[in-house]
This record gives sequence, structure tokens and C-alpha cells, in this order.
Amino acid sequence: MDSFSSPSPGSSQQMSAQELKNKLQSQLALEYAQQFLETVRGKCFEKCITKPGSSLSGSESSCISRCVDRYIEATGIISKTLFGGSQH
Amino acid sequence: MDLSELNTPEMQRFYSEEQQRAVVTETVAKVTSECWDKCVSGTPGNKFSSGEASCLSNCAQRFVETNMLIWKKLQSM
Repeated sequence: MDSFSSPSPGSSQQMSAQELKNKLQSQLALEYAQQFLETVRGKCFEKCITKPGSSLSGSESSCISRCVDRYIEATGIISKTLFGGSQH
Repeated sequence: MDLSELNTPEMQRFYSEEQQRAVVTETVAKVTSECWDKCVSGTPGNKFSSGEASCLSNCAQRFVETNMLIWKKLQSM
């Protein structure tokens, strides 16, 4: 992955500023995604699993799927309202 | 890489931008969470009703105004 150096364990890595930025941004993106997953999970579990059965029903599954779509859509509406344009 | 490379003007600019991006992300997340609870009732459908969509948009604006109002009030105390 790192084409600018050949790091060995314990040695200092030659990382360019751009590589550092990329790594930091990847890490942040991962954490945002994690937070988003946890939020959506909470909301959609609440909306769709009202009476937990012995297995996940077809209607529960499709409810969850629709719920995720709607939550992403809601995020877009809020993002656009607050900050305009299209936010990632 | 030595530590001074983490502290260049370029990196400082980068940190500042990412910090702003984080604030935006967190604000959108928080407002979406609150407004979802207020505006999306019942089982999610294949799309939002126009009522739900405008509720979400209104909710976000009201949130901003609420924030401003509270800030002003606390400042005046």
C-alpha cells in the first residue's frame, strides 16, 4: 500500500503529508460510518421490531431496509437545509 | 516522519478543515436524530410523504433558531 517507502517494524516510516492526510481522513470516515450505523440501527430497531419473534420476519426485514433508505434520505434533507449543497 | 512534520502550516490547515467537517457531521447527525423522532411516525415507507419531508426541513430550521434564541438569552443574563 505504501509505495513511498519500505517500512520494517520499528523503523521510522517515510510518509508524505498527503499520505498522512489520506490516512487520517480514512480513519475519520470509518468512525463517522460507525456512528451512523449505530444510530440507524437504534432508530430502525425501534421502528421495525415492535414484537420480537423467534426469527426476523420478511416484513421486518423489508421494514428495516426501507427504514435505512429513509434515514439516509432524512440525513440528506437535514444536511441540505442546514448547510446547503450536497454534503457527504 | 518526525513529529515536526505533523505541525506544519499545511497540516494545521488540514486539521482545521477536518475539525470543521466534524462539527458539520455531528450537527447533521444530532439534528437528523431529533427530527426523525419528531417527524417520522409509524413504519417507514418507500418514500417520505410531503408532510414528513417538509416536517424534517422545518425541524432543522427551527432547531437552528432555537439554538440562536437560547444563546441570545443566556448572553443577556
